[in-house]
Amino acid sequence: MSSIETLSALRQPTHLPVRLSRYFPLAPPLIVLMIAFAIPMGMMIGLSFHDADTGILTLDNYVRFFGDDLMLAGLWRTALMSGLVALCVTVMAYPVAYYLARSTSRWRVVVFALAITPELAGVVLRTYGWLVILEDHGAINNLLTWSGLISEPLPLSKNLIGVVIGLTHVVLPFGILSLLTSIQGIDPNLERAAQILGSSRVSIIRHIILPLSVPGIVSSLLIAFTMAASAYATPALLGGAGFKVIATMVYEQVLFYIDWPFAAVMAVILLVMMLTIAFIGARVEARLHRKLHI
Amino acid sequence: MNSNDIEMVSVTKTFGSNLVVNNIDLAIPTGEFVSILGPSGCGKTTTLNMIAGFAQPSSGEIRIRGKSQRGVPPEKRGIGMVFQNYALFPHMTIAENVGFGLKMKKRPAGETRDAVQNALRRVHLDGFENRYPKELSGGQQQRTALARAIAPEPSLLLLDEPLSNLDLKLREAMRVELKDIQEQLAMTFVYVTHDQDEAMAMSDRIVVMQDGVIAQTGRPAEIYEHPRSSFVADFIGKSNLLPISDIRQIENDWFVSLGTKGLTLSVFIPDGMSGHDARYCCIRPEAVRLAVTDEGIPPLPNRLEGTLSRIVNLGAYFDCFITLKDGTVLKSLVRSTRLPGLAVNQAVFLSIDPDAVQLLSR
Ligand SMILES: Nc1ncnc2c1ncn2[C@@H]1O[C@H](COP(=O)(O)OP(=O)(O)OP(=O)(O)O)[C@@H](O)[C@H]1O
Ligand SMILES: [Mg+2]
Repeated sequence: MSSIETLSALRQPTHLPVRLSRYFPLAPPLIVLMIAFAIPMGMMIGLSFHDADTGILTLDNYVRFFGDDLMLAGLWRTALMSGLVALCVTVMAYPVAYYLARSTSRWRVVVFALAITPELAGVVLRTYGWLVILEDHGAINNLLTWSGLISEPLPLSKNLIGVVIGLTHVVLPFGILSLLTSIQGIDPNLERAAQILGSSRVSIIRHIILPLSVPGIVSSLLIAFTMAASAYATPALLGGAGFKVIATMVYEQVLFYIDWPFAAVMAVILLVMMLTIAFIGARVEARLHRKLHI
Repeated sequence: MNSNDIEMVSVTKTFGSNLVVNNIDLAIPTGEFVSILGPSGCGKTTTLNMIAGFAQPSSGEIRIRGKSQRGVPPEKRGIGMVFQNYALFPHMTIAENVGFGLKMKKRPAGETRDAVQNALRRVHLDGFENRYPKELSGGQQQRTALARAIAPEPSLLLLDEPLSNLDLKLREAMRVELKDIQEQLAMTFVYVTHDQDEAMAMSDRIVVMQDGVIAQTGRPAEIYEHPRSSFVADFIGKSNLLPISDIRQIENDWFVSLGTKGLTLSVFIPDGMSGHDARYCCIRPEAVRLAVTDEGIPPLPNRLEGTLSRIVNLGAYFDCFITLKDGTVLKSLVRSTRLPGLAVNQAVFLSIDPDAVQLLSR
């Protein structure tokens, strides 16, 4: 909207129908979002405050969650796993994103395709792939046992390591994309300017590229964290009974214990954790933008 | 002892099958202000990038201070560069920007501070140390970029159209400042521009480029007065550029016919040129003398009559377009105070000194 339009809208607050009509195109997506997202979300939050048997309004479910060591351990595992995935994804995505942002080679397209296309294969398929590689009788352990390096299989699945490896792979493209956008926004001439002023490759990265891409780093961490925290299939397949996170525990709660309100509590707590992280991240990012003058 | 800061020997650059710089030979003596002048896409930036080390010549050699630069990365060449779009570091203050080169060279903090102060004073930006690039105007950013390049005191500075984004007034002021800085610090400047006024105003020497080759090098006056080709004549300054249809000698005098309708001018053949090689003649507008009466022009040869078809008022001068009897249009530059009452469609008389008709072989 141009500033003139804004001004005239401000001057004529009585022309309500005219202004509303501008938002009509937004109606269909809004309705879909209402039905598919807001209403179930509201129902879930409402459910979490009801007693499972009597249906009376209560806070008991929350009290129960925070009094249950098993639940708190699950929450901690979820946070730890998501944090590790966020770190691994960002560290691995950075060089790829930098290459994609700067390269003029014809291999660029190939690397881009390799980085993004795994997303098309679907989460379950890729996770099974990792299971075949990581499980006790999987590719890695078989190879190591056969070569005589180990006698017992290494614990690569049904634990934190396996889930983090699998999720890192699943989330990596999103990390790459968010870093790519950020690094592409940095004028390549800045690197040349630093270089002609005597900077080595390493100090260009340290003094120019890293500081200017911090907002991208923050958003990559954020995206990776929230995607990992809400992931279900990968922790379910690679973590299994040995490594339970909130997402898999919610499923268990619904399927085996048929305790919908308590499952809703867990989901709400997971949601609150992600929203908190997202909120902090957004604040940090906004501050960085101001601090870095970009 | 080698007194050339830069030597380019048969330097060629191709991008794929695209020949961008074609066999350039150029020597730039220490302390000289050289402008590389040419139309867009003629290979100026590419040439500068090869000197800086951002691009490698496809063949040929570049020497800086006598040393071949093959395999020497930009950070080891000991030169400064001012980029067309400034390329200031947005996350650093002006002081940090200007001090960056010294910091990279691991100079003591005190020395860096002094050098930053000095450089900022030189570009009249003292007091701006703690601002960020975004908080400066275009001209101030431009001067910051210059200060950043000169703070480490490189003996050689490359400038890629550094004034192209400034308005006319600021540009003219910056020209003077640039020239002052270059002289005070005794630096070698390689200045890329497509603005011929800029090149004329500042340079010791101008290199005119055309499609990847050097069309001519010389002092500004030399190039203006003796362009070697119609391209150079047309590119440097304003000119009446007319193709020659015939040239003949009558006793000791030479005459050229221009166009088909019998416009003939008496000319002098310069030393070292055969009259029969002449293809074009170039007459600078200020050499076309204009008068409103027959008596107003000297009794020389080359007297012409025509009608004033257009007047462009440049303030101190009128840019006059005169249509001759045969339809040829000539430009003449007239001091506005000399003929204040000039009007369109007026009959006028022209004279051209045979000395002022430059003959060009291509
Ligand atoms: N990296 C590159 N790959 C392919 N072609 C290039 C590359 N860089 C430049 N060129 C081509 O080389 C030619 C000269 O480019 P260059 O940038 O040197 O021109 P210039 O004289 O600086 O022009 P301008 O005044 O517009 O800046 C252009 O035709 C351009 O398309
Ligand atoms: Mg250029």
